[in-house]
Amino acid sequence: MEHQAPALFVALEGSGLAAAIRQSLFLYPLANVGHIVALVCFAGAIAVMDLRLVGAFAATVPALVIARARRVVIAALCVLAVTGFMLFAAEASHVVLNPVFQLKMALVAVGLVNVAIYEWGAQGAVYALPAGAAMPRRARIAGFISLGLWLAVAACGRSIAYF
Amino acid sequence: MKRLVILAAFAMLVGPAVAHHGWGSYDAAHPITVTGPILTSKFENPHATLTVRGSDKVWTVTLAPTSRMTSRGALAAVVAVGKTVSAYGYPSTAEKDEMRAERIIVDGKTYEMR
Repeated sequence: MEHQAPALFVALEGSGLAAAIRQSLFLYPLANVGHIVALVCFAGAIAVMDLRLVGAFAATVPALVIARARRVVIAALCVLAVTGFMLFAAEASHVVLNPVFQLKMALVAVGLVNVAIYEWGAQGAVYALPAGAAMPRRARIAGFISLGLWLAVAACGRSIAYF
Repeated sequence: MKRLVILAAFAMLVGPAVAHHGWGSYDAAHPITVTGPILTSKFENPHATLTVRGSDKVWTVTLAPTSRMTSRGALAAVVAVGKTVSAYGYPSTAEKDEMRAERIIVDGKTYEMR
């Protein structure tokens, strides 16, 4: 299958960085463990954000809860991106052709578009709300979509090894 | 909308479980032993791999992560090119001429891979 991969990914797998990740005893396991730990932090923080958006914890001020969780989400996403790139680079020419990996990347893209739409179109209104106020419909939709998408991304991630 | 998203998420979670492989993509009902000289050796993550000239054909033999192999004494020098290995394991149901080793014997010493 290797010959079918675009040259960019063959070159990535053949790079010194990718070779170092494969040949080191600890780099690949470290990236693997770091990816899952970051995922746990990401999932916990994004669940807080999304649940608040769909109307849970109604007694809290939305801006306080969401803005704090958002920092954890961003930090965890950065770690996920770095460790994910390490895992990907080591086997790029195979993984890029993996249908579940392709689905996962598509879902990540949709998830980031959902974030952009929410932050441009709804976050201002949400941050202005007092405790106990009803969430705008577009914020609730963004929260539901986000919860479903990131769970699906996590399921895809674990499934890559089995396809 | 809410119901649809929950259904979609559920479908995503269940779908992969049905198609689960792992060691499952190897035919554990028909274990084989491949014995012969090591032609190539990649002591690399996520799994070390060898090519071995067996009695019937050249097999790709998938071993374990390098940190596990190292902790069990199966160092790169043990599975080096030119050594003779006997690998007990299961043929892949997905990849042609590939098998995953449960254990290997090199120079009379047995190393567990799982």
